[in-house]
Amino acid sequence: MLRYSSKNSIYKIDGSRMDLAKEYRDNLKGPYSFELQNILDRMRTSSLNGRFVLIVIEPFKRFGLARLSGKRGEPPKIIDNVIYNSISEAEWDIFKRRWYELTGYNINIKDPS
Amino acid sequence: MLSSTKIIGYCQPLVINQGETTQLKISSNGPDSCEFEVLRVICADIDPLGPGSKFEKQDWQKSKKIKIKNQKINIGSFAFISSAPNIKNEQQIYISMYIWPTIISKPKQVIFNWGNLSIFIRSDGKCVFEFNSIKVVSNQCCFARKWYKVSCLVDFSKKIISLNINNLDPETDELPVDKSELKIDLKKFSSKIYPICFAAKIDKIEKNKIVTNNHYNGKIERPQIKLNSNSVLFAKWDFSQKINTDEIIDIGPNKLVGNLVNGPMRAATGHNWNGSVKSWNQNKDHYGAIHFHEDDLIDCKWDTNFTIKAPHSAKSGYYIARIKAKGTQSDVPFFISEKFRPIKGIKKNKVLFLAPTATYLSYSNTHVKFDSLNTENLFEGPITLSEDELYLNEHRELGLSHYDTHSDDSGVVFVSERRPILNMRPGLYTFNYINDTHIIKWLEKKGYDYDIVTDEDLHKYGIGLLENYLVVITASHPEYFSTKMWDALFEYQNKGGRHMYLGGNGFYWRVAYSDYYPGVVENRRGISGVRTWEGEPGENHLSFTGEPGGLWRSSGRAPQSIVGNGFCATMFLKSTWFRRSKASYKSKYEFIFKNLNDKKIGDFGYRGGGCVGLEIDRWDKDLGSPLNSEVLATSENINEDGLLSGEEFITTTRAITGSNNAKVRADMVFFTTPGGGAVWSTGSIAWATSLLWNNSQNSVSKVTENVLNRFLDNKKF
Repeated sequence: MLRYSSKNSIYKIDGSRMDLAKEYRDNLKGPYSFELQNILDRMRTSSLNGRFVLIVIEPFKRFGLARLSGKRGEPPKIIDNVIYNSISEAEWDIFKRRWYELTGYNINIKDPS
Repeated sequence: MLSSTKIIGYCQPLVINQGETTQLKISSNGPDSCEFEVLRVICADIDPLGPGSKFEKQDWQKSKKIKIKNQKINIGSFAFISSAPNIKNEQQIYISMYIWPTIISKPKQVIFNWGNLSIFIRSDGKCVFEFNSIKVVSNQCCFARKWYKVSCLVDFSKKIISLNINNLDPETDELPVDKSELKIDLKKFSSKIYPICFAAKIDKIEKNKIVTNNHYNGKIERPQIKLNSNSVLFAKWDFSQKINTDEIIDIGPNKLVGNLVNGPMRAATGHNWNGSVKSWNQNKDHYGAIHFHEDDLIDCKWDTNFTIKAPHSAKSGYYIARIKAKGTQSDVPFFISEKFRPIKGIKKNKVLFLAPTATYLSYSNTHVKFDSLNTENLFEGPITLSEDELYLNEHRELGLSHYDTHSDDSGVVFVSERRPILNMRPGLYTFNYINDTHIIKWLEKKGYDYDIVTDEDLHKYGIGLLENYLVVITASHPEYFSTKMWDALFEYQNKGGRHMYLGGNGFYWRVAYSDYYPGVVENRRGISGVRTWEGEPGENHLSFTGEPGGLWRSSGRAPQSIVGNGFCATMFLKSTWFRRSKASYKSKYEFIFKNLNDKKIGDFGYRGGGCVGLEIDRWDKDLGSPLNSEVLATSENINEDGLLSGEEFITTTRAITGSNNAKVRADMVFFTTPGGGAVWSTGSIAWATSLLWNNSQNSVSKVTENVLNRFLDNKKF
């Protein structure tokens, strides 16, 4: 049988490349440079155990952040006090969180206004 | 915010005609009473920035207050033989079968249970034979996805019980034969009052429901029971017989026929399958196994809370029972399809919309956001979870979709309507059902007279159903089609019918219905196409019909051969638009583009900002686009947002996006058919979701209207 595996995603991200973080911040929906596309592919193939997801608090208006359990039937774990007012705000924040977790670097550029 | 999951329910059957009834079955997670009203769904899209939801309250069903309770679901499949003759005085009982377990690490998975006899796998993978609470345990563990022959013996004369596990394909260090034996003081076996059960343990038998636990995940093949010195056959079940039914046949002397509950997968390869055949029709002897799952579900078997009767005057369409209680509003969908009344000679001068219920069921209660690693990659954005989806994750007893895998990672082949379906109703899951109601709202807005029938009706009545109408409209994503549905639509087109296909990725998977399983759709994924799991070798033929499953394209009927275009790419991030082709300026196509000034069509819409998006189709003569078909418009500017589907490339390549692969495109196609008919295909799901943009004052709406007006004109093409 053919299985997916998060271990198959191996692109190495250079955490110091703030130019790529800036590229994403300024153009969330792409098209992306080759390097940024690889980074996004890596992030989006994250393990189901701990994957960042959005929880609808108020449809179309407010979203919370949570992490999937990776186990069937177990609810995602809510991350307290994180509320987004738009999907794009959430996309950028999740990108920053993943960047840190994958590289150990904080993204130290300004958030979009 | 009102809860959509405190109360949930389903209507059985899902599809009724005018004058018929459906049973509303409700379960409450809190309130002990509720009110409900019946609404016709005109647009189910509740997005405040969308086209505007619209529901029409039905006077024929007065608001009702009803008592409700919590209703349980017994999920998991098993085989059940209600009674067996008493065998009290036998000297020996010998039970054997082949097994192929798929999960090892569960606390207790019961393979066979009969009175005080049972065979199970415990959490360490060891097989156990239990008789009167005395257990004999195998020495070594079973492994997942390997064949074993299990033989158990109770010998009253020698006062022993024994268990033999023959490993049919031993690897390093594994014993080919694992024998365990216990000498004990045996009491007599009493089977008198107990049924025989495979793949679960019976907990209790209620009036219309068997409650089970300790379900087994995996295959069982050729179980048999012999008595007295291994010489007298008592029962021998041949699972390769009546594969298309829910019956299991005993070819022994006692004819202990049983039934399958909750739809385990039949037509499963047995221990002797060797690749010499790929279909159970070719050699049934290789298909003696049934694959059971702890999360199979066909029927919740809930009690009915209310019977809804549709009057003869009801308009055919999408309906919901809207249930309300304090803090709760939950919709239960059903369909009223136009009653089939054969008309001779004159076609009704109106439109028929085919509600793609096979597709709705295929996606029903999907869990891919939780269970499938590639979902975020596919949608190219963060996963957003609604209350309904969170509920589905935590309440696995509501069953799975064709997009899901079972807990043992095997693919789901059966989906059923006899359960609450939380993504086929107004809400946040817009794919398919909600998108299709954009078409309904558009038809009403433009004042067209139309009827609705469903896939189930088309499968049941065939071409006769379509022949009543001048125009048939298929929906935004009519992806799943049975052979009878395909044949009916194809014949309709070739007898002068007019077909408008307002979607993308249609006519893609070959599925089956069965009279033995009403309201169930079977799908075998095979090894090609965009799919969330891959079918097992040898198991890609439909058990309901024996036909090859998988892509229609693999059966020589690519979508191009029925509608002129066929699936080629996904584009979930952004949508784009069409540009008219040179051919579209031929005078014969003037009726399509009249009163349209722009060469560009549909650079707007409610999904991704364009009419070319989500899933798209392309024209290809090699795949069957008719010789007289022409591409009237092609997408442009897809770039990196379009991703080529797997069956569209042969060797590996980096060139699979709209930037570097010309196959990543949508083609709008038109062709005439014998008898004065015609087919017009948009080739994009997002076409339907652009119809209502700017209050339908737009090019997508205009082109659709132009085509429909001409198609409603009796004049032959």
